[in-house]
Amino acid sequence: MRNRFILFVLAVFFMACLVWPQDLALKGGTVLTVTKGIIENGTVVIRDGMIVGVGQDIPIPAGMRVIDVTGKYVMPGIIDSHSHIALTDINEATDPVTPQIWMREALEPSSDSIKKTLAGGVTMVKTMHGSANVIGGVNVTIKLKYGDRIENMIVKDTRQQIKMALGENPKRLYGSKGRIPSTRMGNAFVMRNAFLKAKEYKEKWDAYEKQKAEGKKGLKPPEKDLKMETLKMVLEKKLGIDCHVYRADEIVWIINFCKEWDIDLLQLSHCIDGYKVPDILADAGVCYGGWIDWWGFKEEAYDGCPYGFEIMHKAGVRIVINSDSADECRYLYLNAAKVLKYNDIPEEEVLKMITLNPAYAVEMEHKAGSIEKGKDGDIAVFDKYPLDSTSKCLMTIIEGKVYFDYSKESITAEGVGYE
Amino acid sequence: MNRKIFILLAAVLFGLNPAFSQSSQQILIKNGTIVPVKGAQIQKADILIEAGKIIKIGRDLEPSPSAHIIDASGKYVYPGMVALMTAVGVTGYPGAGNDMNESGVSTPQMDPFDAINPEDPCIAVTRLGGVTTVMTVSGTRSPINGKSVLMNLDGRLAQDLVIKRYAAQIFNMGAKSESKYPSTLPGVVSLIEEKLNKAKQYARKKEGAGGEKQGGRENESSRFSIDLEMEALLPVLKGEAPALFITNDEVTIRNALKIIDEFGLKGIIRASRGILKYAEILSEKNIPVIWAGTTGIPGRWEPFDLNYHTAAVLAEKGVLFAFDLGGWGADGRNVRNLPVPASLSVAYGLDEEEAIKALTINPAKIMGVDDKVGSIEEGKTANLVVWSGSPVQMRSRIYHVIINGKIVPMESIQTRLRDQYKKH
Repeated sequence: MRNRFILFVLAVFFMACLVWPQDLALKGGTVLTVTKGIIENGTVVIRDGMIVGVGQDIPIPAGMRVIDVTGKYVMPGIIDSHSHIALTDINEATDPVTPQIWMREALEPSSDSIKKTLAGGVTMVKTMHGSANVIGGVNVTIKLKYGDRIENMIVKDTRQQIKMALGENPKRLYGSKGRIPSTRMGNAFVMRNAFLKAKEYKEKWDAYEKQKAEGKKGLKPPEKDLKMETLKMVLEKKLGIDCHVYRADEIVWIINFCKEWDIDLLQLSHCIDGYKVPDILADAGVCYGGWIDWWGFKEEAYDGCPYGFEIMHKAGVRIVINSDSADECRYLYLNAAKVLKYNDIPEEEVLKMITLNPAYAVEMEHKAGSIEKGKDGDIAVFDKYPLDSTSKCLMTIIEGKVYFDYSKESITAEGVGYE
Repeated sequence: MNRKIFILLAAVLFGLNPAFSQSSQQILIKNGTIVPVKGAQIQKADILIEAGKIIKIGRDLEPSPSAHIIDASGKYVYPGMVALMTAVGVTGYPGAGNDMNESGVSTPQMDPFDAINPEDPCIAVTRLGGVTTVMTVSGTRSPINGKSVLMNLDGRLAQDLVIKRYAAQIFNMGAKSESKYPSTLPGVVSLIEEKLNKAKQYARKKEGAGGEKQGGRENESSRFSIDLEMEALLPVLKGEAPALFITNDEVTIRNALKIIDEFGLKGIIRASRGILKYAEILSEKNIPVIWAGTTGIPGRWEPFDLNYHTAAVLAEKGVLFAFDLGGWGADGRNVRNLPVPASLSVAYGLDEEEAIKALTINPAKIMGVDDKVGSIEEGKTANLVVWSGSPVQMRSRIYHVIINGKIVPMESIQTRLRDQYKKH
């Protein structure tokens, strides 16, 4: 009986280890804080999922689990602010305006893509609606807590963002069906019209709420409309915006549109032509989201230019490297190294493009994207300097819990027995 | 002949033709670390180039007084990389015509040379990334797609680029169609077998008819008439043109091996997954592999680094293999990213030297042009790239590219855009 009780306690303990954030110390590594330089032979202490100490000779509380990372590199968990992983569905491609769609309802917490992505040191992604619609669905920013419950994966400390798309994709899809939009003018009309309707809807509801608050009796609430509900949230700045663009004219158009409507444009995705209007991106404070060297895969991507990062960096644009690909999401650090092939940009700034800048793009810069006291314990451990392209991720840690361990999951590990 | 006209002609032929004037001048690459790929690294050595060829490698070489000198101190000289399975030169501008993939399930007579556009901006973008030789295919989507052409990425006319006109015939073992025959994998096998058998019969008939010189003796019914589809398969049956099989899993690899055996073909397997099981067989049979699966995402029950680690196993088992980007397929315009799978493979266990071979000499060997390109050796075509470091480092920069002994300008559509927008 007593043995059984001990077993029960042990089982509860192990389950707790699986579910709850852990306390953890990483000792002896080269810490790339990204915001405060490099700390040689540094220690990072994580308690209750939060970084509580960073530096040399930091005391490690007694009894805390210590991982010796001597000779290894410790960097903030990599963040991808444009991904489509872990979703059962991507495009509600039946109408050019679908803000009633919430991607969290397509989220698959045990999707294998999460596991494969963790192996590349990635801890957080914004997983998104596709680009079929001018106004798509609401994206969801998640931490890659593989196997955990959906509500624990979804990042709560941030606004979610709605996906919008300009250019050829909505044109092609709806144009081929003989519907609006089949031109860029059509795209503009569809977006403007949706926000006009949303404004009317909001005014109706605001008037109702005001009268209700004033204690007026016998009021009939206006009819609920789920599309309009979401756009009302955008107008109220309860949701941000990520817009898919390619050409410089589209970049300028959407920035002007968002100013006109006083709505928060946070990221421009596949912002291929960003380097042509760097001043406008910088003034708007919107993140450039995109690839370093994709080009020419379609007409509107023809001017993709890997040298453009330096132009944007000098103009003060916040550059974010995105994958938009379940494949490339696993080696964003290689794409970051490519930036140095084509551009003279300081290395810490390049590391920011896959850590702090995407954290900013998902409004999580206060909690993620660098190794600092008070931020979440989201860490990637690499065997070499991560901008060395022969490096690999050894460990991915989210809020102090190890979600990926190379020594257990590699094909070369004992017991994997694949070869 | 009128002397003036002769001089004028000579001037046009030798002087005004930029390719010729460049390659007739000696070039000396001085003081670089040479990574010849065949043989060990040579520190602080020179490479002398003349008339398109590497004529000497060594220390303190004496060039002719008019030689163009490239100072490679502190830099690395590698052979130009060789990318197989590309669409460089045939996809053109997006929206301005893509000439890949003719319709039909069997089009072995399609020759990408007939669609090569030497003005394709992708050529300059690709060579600026250190890829100096490509094999462009006519298509990949049918069971029997067509020919492929090996080219050095510099030249005024299509014929100036060509190294080998019929480098391989491209079969795709997974190219089943949705509704038409063949709509199953066995269907693909039997279609290819049927066409190869027909080509054998055609060869016999052609021989009986006295080859292409049509004799007058035959009657109308047995009269030999040229069939271009069958003609294109004859070099494949004779082993003059390799049969390159695109596979995408274990089943399609096995089916390709069956056809290679059955018809005694000179086979090449292009694989994107399932290749490890066959590594030993391929090594025994000396069948080379174009490994396109490095960046492919392994299946749910497979270890995350199965594909990153595959090249290391292929090398260990002695399989001759070359890297291919995969993913983007032949339509991709980012062939310059050829080192990406090499970097990942090195990170996950492949020896760096083997990785460099799989970017240079191995693809040249697979396509039978290793006497011309793929390494730095005296007598070979001068396809050379001056790097800041190893090609497997994504951050390594490229300072000079030499193709056919000619220094190519470090310009592309992208450097022009850079220069245009940098000014603002």
